Amino acid sequence: MHNINLKIGKGEFVFLTGPSGAGKTTLLRLLYGALRPTRGEVLVDGQNVTRLTRSQIPLLRRSIGVVFQDFKLLHNRSVFENVAITLEVLGWGRADIGKKTMHILKQMGIESKYNLTTQRLSGGEQQRVALARALVNDPKILLADEPTGNLDDANKNQILTIFKEANIRGTTVVVATHDRRLIDQGHKRLVTLSKGEIVEQVEKESIGDDQNG
Amino acid sequence: MNKWKKKASETTRTARRPTLAGDGFGGRIGFFLTRAITNIRQNVFVNVVTIGTITLALLIVSLFLLVFVNLESAAENWSERVQVTVYFDKDLTGQEQSAFREKISAISEVSRISYVSRDEALKRFKGRLRGQETLLEGVRSEILPTSFEIVLKRAYRETVSVESFVTKLKQIPGISEVQYGEEWVRRFNSFLNFMRLLGALLGGFLVVAVIFIVSNTIKLTIYSRRDELEVMSLVGATRFFITAPFLLEGIIQGLAGSLLSLGLVYGLYEGFLQNAGDFITFNPAASGFNFLPVEYLSGLLLAGALLGFIGSLTSLKRFINV
Repeated sequence: MHNINLKIGKGEFVFLTGPSGAGKTTLLRLLYGALRPTRGEVLVDGQNVTRLTRSQIPLLRRSIGVVFQDFKLLHNRSVFENVAITLEVLGWGRADIGKKTMHILKQMGIESKYNLTTQRLSGGEQQRVALARALVNDPKILLADEPTGNLDDANKNQILTIFKEANIRGTTVVVATHDRRLIDQGHKRLVTLSKGEIVEQVEKESIGDDQNG
Repeated sequence: MNKWKKKASETTRTARRPTLAGDGFGGRIGFFLTRAITNIRQNVFVNVVTIGTITLALLIVSLFLLVFVNLESAAENWSERVQVTVYFDKDLTGQEQSAFREKISAISEVSRISYVSRDEALKRFKGRLRGQETLLEGVRSEILPTSFEIVLKRAYRETVSVESFVTKLKQIPGISEVQYGEEWVRRFNSFLNFMRLLGALLGGFLVVAVIFIVSNTIKLTIYSRRDELEVMSLVGATRFFITAPFLLEGIIQGLAGSLLSLGLVYGLYEGFLQNAGDFITFNPAASGFNFLPVEYLSGLLLAGALLGFIGSLTSLKRFINV
């Protein structure tokens, strides 16, 4: 990637789009510290990611939730355990983890399946578990890489609604996708990438705004 | 939806987080241990494979040690026969005896010394010729020599030391005839050195093979769980937080494997003791065939734990990119 000059403000909802190989995933990976730029700087939440030491990266990631197309769930563990892992890492006590986890599962509408292993869930349910894991600690930033790539339309809409709700609660949301329908329904700000460069930026008013204030 | 509830929980969270984050190393050991045990329960197959591999590997090592330890103690017994004998062709008076005894004992290599009188010598001679007593007709104790039999300390039983001891012995006035079965001592010692070298070589190869096999098995099992490592690092777990349960798991696996292998070796040992009489002529119970001493047992336990720990540690390094 080169020539990227992108600023995403607090509480924004941004879609990244572009053809495969345009650099959407790379851009996200730069944001959560999985990649380091060879040149230039990446600032997240006032911190210069480029200058973070290896032991500081985990602290950065605690304020960022990440969701993927392939969900990255642990299939030998239950839904509850998959979500609770985020809070365990933060060092929460057992009782608090239980309450908070069940609360977010309820929001996602999958609290009745908390004890099933994730293998036994549908694709849409699995993505909601992944979202619950990303959102359970109320992260400042939510990054999603093709979150709806494997889902049908009904599930896409549910996922989009969850993104919007998280955004309303103050989480900055960045979604990388090439799914036009998702963008048309949801976008406030659209950044189009191609061959590692930003080729277009569009902003429009959306329903979410008036609730935000 | 749930906008206000959310706000409420957020305030409790911010209020609580500092105390919980300050939990520190000690408070988390319990968590890591439960995590490790849950991991074992959730990955039964992988753990059975790892523990099985460690068990078999250490079984081979401890069988080897068992044989080695028993050969060593057998060699120890045989080396008691490295004896130096000083002959006199007359009976010594009590005064002469204690004078010689004192002078010989003064040499640092000596462990035990005993006087063999003419009567004692005749008795031994008769014992050796049991069943052929006719040969002894006309043999009286006067024709036999008296002697001192000297057993050397353990460290001085190899060829060179025995020779230098004999030289010192010959410097004592009145001592002229010394015998110590040079040829036998030489052969016995070179056989012993050869066995030790062979044992060290075989043992070395065995240990290298065991480390290689166990670390590769652990590498594979951790590779099969790399998703877990990835997810943990995505949600912001520190390197220590990710590795600690895996390392504990490795230690538990290693201990379980070494305990199992020691149990198996003990079973084999008991089985051998009880049934050996049926197929070989020597009686192992009477010949002092021993089980591994306590230091070796605890050493094997420790080795098992270390195998699990170091195997996990080196494998984890490859798969964590935090």
